Amino acid sequence: MISSKDTVKEAILKAKSKKVYIEGNFVKLLAKTSDTEVKDYIEECKTRDINQRRKRLDITKQVQKQNKELEEASVIKEALVIELQNSLEATEAAKKEAEELRDKAVEDLDTLQKRTQFELINLIVRVALWIILGVGLLTTILYIYVLSIGIDSTIIESTWSNLFGILLTNSFSIVGTIMGVKYATDKSN
Amino acid sequence: MIDTLMLIDDENLFHLVFEDACSMLDIALSIEALDSSDEANAKFKKWFPDDPDHERPQCVFVDLNIVGSSYDGIEMIRKINHEYGNGCVIGIISSSSDPEEIEKAKAVGAQFWIIKSDDIEPRLQEFHRDYEGYVNKTAPFKIYR
Repeated sequence: MISSKDTVKEAILKAKSKKVYIEGNFVKLLAKTSDTEVKDYIEECKTRDINQRRKRLDITKQVQKQNKELEEASVIKEALVIELQNSLEATEAAKKEAEELRDKAVEDLDTLQKRTQFELINLIVRVALWIILGVGLLTTILYIYVLSIGIDSTIIESTWSNLFGILLTNSFSIVGTIMGVKYATDKSN
Repeated sequence: MIDTLMLIDDENLFHLVFEDACSMLDIALSIEALDSSDEANAKFKKWFPDDPDHERPQCVFVDLNIVGSSYDGIEMIRKINHEYGNGCVIGIISSSSDPEEIEKAKAVGAQFWIIKSDDIEPRLQEFHRDYEGYVNKTAPFKIYR
């Protein structure tokens, strides 16, 4: 073992015999010597130190590079996640918009159907009313004509009365049906 | 060879790279690597002005952006140069090469700007060749690319 009483040379030679080599900047503090044995040992220490530092430097640089790459990958990943989230939000917004448009289209179609139905009912009512008015008017004219020329009016009288009754009943029936349809439509809405 | 050198950089891995590169190139005997400018500021504050003769680093390398610190590299240089005495060779070591920042560093008294890269050794070697000029204040501001 190296003792505090040993000279530097003795200490160095003891270390050399045990194959222990000085590491770090301490080697740089050792002055140049002409003693071949000590000189060779110091040179060996320096070479080993440089080789070890080179090795460590390469590994550190590699780790540093990998860390940088990981950081970059992490940034890219984060950007992708944000992009995906944005796309998802955009898709959801588009879906919502499409649903709204669909609902609006369904509503428009429904309104159109109702309007068509209303227009049809309106037409039916008009035609029915014209027919009722026409038949009523024709029968009345015929009845007045028969009365005015003085011929037997028994048949036409009962016919006019029956026809008028039927027309009146049918009129109420039509009005009732229309009111019923209108009520049912309003209720379904 | 520089006896005492201080590195202020938040990246611990770079401390190892810097120490090994400096040792291999025989640039410095002793390197003190600090993580933050606050830590460096506390040390300089303690050394100066109460004890202007206190042993101080002969050369200081400061990173431009020191994450988790109160001051960036430029402010650190300004403090060391103007508040604690302008006695050491000081400059920036950063991956940035922003001309605006370089001008700011020059204005506060930085003597050099070393751009960090995977291959830092040639730049440090070049810096080492110019070092005496920085000590004598005869070398102009230089960017090591």
